[in-house]
Amino acid sequence: MSEKIYLWLWRLYPSHFREAYREEALQLFRDRARHERGFFRGLRLWLDLLADLAISVPREYLYVQPALTATPAQHGLDDTPSFYIQGNESPCLGALLYGGVLSLVIFTVMPGVIGHDGKYRATHSLFHQPERPTDVRPSTSGGPASQAVNDAAEEARLTGQPTLTATGLSSVEVDRGGFHSNPLSQQKGSGVPQGQPTPEHASLGVVAADEDVKLDAAQRHRIIEAAAANLRQYYFDRNVAQATAEALLAHEKSGDDAVTQGQDFADLLSRQMQGASHDMHLSMEYSRDPLPEHPPEDTPENLARYRKAMERENCMFRKVEILPRGIGYLKLDFFPDTTVCDSTAMAAMASLNRADAIIVDLRDNRGGFENMVSMIASYLFDHPEYMYSPREAPTERSWTRSPVPGNKLADKPVFVLTSASTWSGAEQFSYDLKMLRRATLVGETTRGGAHAGEFHRIDDHFGVGIPEVKPINPFGNADWEGIGVQPDVRVKAADALKVAEKLAETKLQKKLPMENSR
Amino acid sequence: MPKRKLDPLPSAAFQILLSLAGEDLHGYGIMRQIADQTGGRMRLGPGTLYSSIHTLLEEKFIEEVDTREDARLGEERRRYYRLTSAGRKLARTEAERLADLLRVARVKKIFRGDYV
Repeated sequence: MSEKIYLWLWRLYPSHFREAYREEALQLFRDRARHERGFFRGLRLWLDLLADLAISVPREYLYVQPALTATPAQHGLDDTPSFYIQGNESPCLGALLYGGVLSLVIFTVMPGVIGHDGKYRATHSLFHQPERPTDVRPSTSGGPASQAVNDAAEEARLTGQPTLTATGLSSVEVDRGGFHSNPLSQQKGSGVPQGQPTPEHASLGVVAADEDVKLDAAQRHRIIEAAAANLRQYYFDRNVAQATAEALLAHEKSGDDAVTQGQDFADLLSRQMQGASHDMHLSMEYSRDPLPEHPPEDTPENLARYRKAMERENCMFRKVEILPRGIGYLKLDFFPDTTVCDSTAMAAMASLNRADAIIVDLRDNRGGFENMVSMIASYLFDHPEYMYSPREAPTERSWTRSPVPGNKLADKPVFVLTSASTWSGAEQFSYDLKMLRRATLVGETTRGGAHAGEFHRIDDHFGVGIPEVKPINPFGNADWEGIGVQPDVRVKAADALKVAEKLAETKLQKKLPMENSR
Repeated sequence: MPKRKLDPLPSAAFQILLSLAGEDLHGYGIMRQIADQTGGRMRLGPGTLYSSIHTLLEEKFIEEVDTREDARLGEERRRYYRLTSAGRKLARTEAERLADLLRVARVKKIFRGDYV
C-alpha cells in the first residue's frame, strides 16, 4: 500500500526524471521500508520522503527548460569567448515578461545604489579622525588592570582554566602555556621608545576599546620591525633569532601581511615566527584594550582577588581520592603558585599518604608554576632531585625538597596520565619523572611546549613573547618542544585511567608476594 | 536541458562523491554510506539522491558501472555507480576548500585548540 502511495507521489516529478529513475527510486523506497520498521522509524521514513519531495520536485522543474544546443557558435580557443545558441525552442511569454520587469527594476535601482555612499567608511578610517577622542572608552572599573581581569575571566570561561595571576592580569599564561606569571609584569624593553607616543601610538590610542585596531602598512611595518629587534636582542639562539627576524621582514616584503585586524595580524606574525623558528612559544600577542606601559604592582587587593579565585577552584586540584585497591588518584588541572596554594597541595598529598600507588592525572593540565611542579614532585622522592626546566637556569628551587616530613609516597609506584593537550609545566612534570625513571607515563604524546616566553611590550596593543634562555638538558639535547613527551604506555587519553589502574594493580600484586617473602 | 550547477558543489553531491571514494555502490548503498559518514544527520531521499546522481553523471564525475544483485539485499538487480578521476579531483578540491575555511575559522577563534 505504502509503495503505491509513493509511486503516486513520484508522478509529481517531471516526466524525463520520473521515467529515468522510477525503478531505482522504488527500489530504494522498498529497501528503506524493509529496514526501517516500527512506528517511529516508519514515521521518520515518511517525513524524510515528504521533505525530499518538497525540495527536489521544484528543483527538477526548474531544470525542465528548453535545452541549450551544446554546439557553440564557435569553439573557443584558449580564452576566446564562445556563444551557445538556443535550440529550436523560443522563450515562453512568461519568461520574456519576467526578464523585462527584472531588467527594468535593475536599471532603476542600480544608479541610485551606486550614487549613494551610505555609511561605508572604508576610506575614512578611524585613524584619520583625530576629532574622535571621545571614542576612548573610559575606564569604569579601575583602569586597564581591571579590564584585563575581565578579559582573564572571559578566557577562563572559554578555556575552563583559571587565568588570574598573582597580579590578576594574565589572560595569556594558561593558554600559551609558557607564561608562568603575569607576562605584563615581566615586560622588558621594546623596539619602540616608550613613554613618548609616536603618531601611530596616538592613533592607536584613539581607537576605542570596543573596536578592533585597524592597521595600515606603516603600522604593520613598525610592529614587524619592533618584533624583529626584540627577537635579535632577546631570543636565546642568535642564529634562529636572525633567521626568524629575516623571515618576518621577507613576509612583509612579499605582501603576506596585508591584514588590517589587530588579532589577525598578531596570529599571522605568530605563525610566521613559529614557522621560521619551530618554537611554539614565540608569539605575537594582541590586546584590544591598551596595555599598561609599566608592570602593574602586586597590590594586596590583586593578590587577595587571585587567592580567592584559586580557593574557589580548590587550586585546580580537581580530584583527590583513594580508588579501590588502595590506588591514590590525583587529578590536577593546573600547577598553581605555591605562595597561594601550598596548603591545598599539602592537604591533597597528605590525604594520599595511605595509598599504595599513585596516579597523577594531567590529561587536562595546561601547565602553571614551576614551584608547584617541584613541590608535588618532592613527595615522590626520598632525596632531593633536580627537576630540569627548559625555561630557567638551575636555581635552588630546581631541586625537590625531598624528603618531605611524614610523607610515605616516596617509594610508591607512580603513574602519570597524559593527553595531547597536556602542556608546558605539566609536560615538565611528566618529562622529568619519566627521565628520572620515577613514573610510568600512560596516555598520549603531550602537546609539546617547552620554552617559556618573556613578554615584551611593543605598543598599546601589541607585545611579543620571546623565550630567552635554554639551560642544558641533563637528559640529552632535545626536550619536548614541538614534539611532546612520549608516553611509556600509549593509549587513548580517554582510556588512560583504566589502563593505569590495571597497571598499578598488576604492579602491586607482584610487589605483594615479594614483601610477604621478606 | 541547462547544465545543473555544481559550483558551488551542493552538499548532497559532495557527500555522494565521498561515499563512492571507497567502493562502487548502488543508490541505497550510497544513501546508507552517507548516513554513516554524517553520523545519521543526512539521509538522502530518492528525489534528492537521484537528482544529484543525474547531475554528476551528466558532468562525468561519476559513471554507471554495471547492474547486478546485492546478495545482502535480495535478488533484485541494482545499478552501481563509480567515482571517475574527475569526480575524485572535484571531491579533493572541495575538501581543500573546506579545509581552508576551517583554517580561517581557527584564526578567527571560532574553533579553539589545534586538534579540531
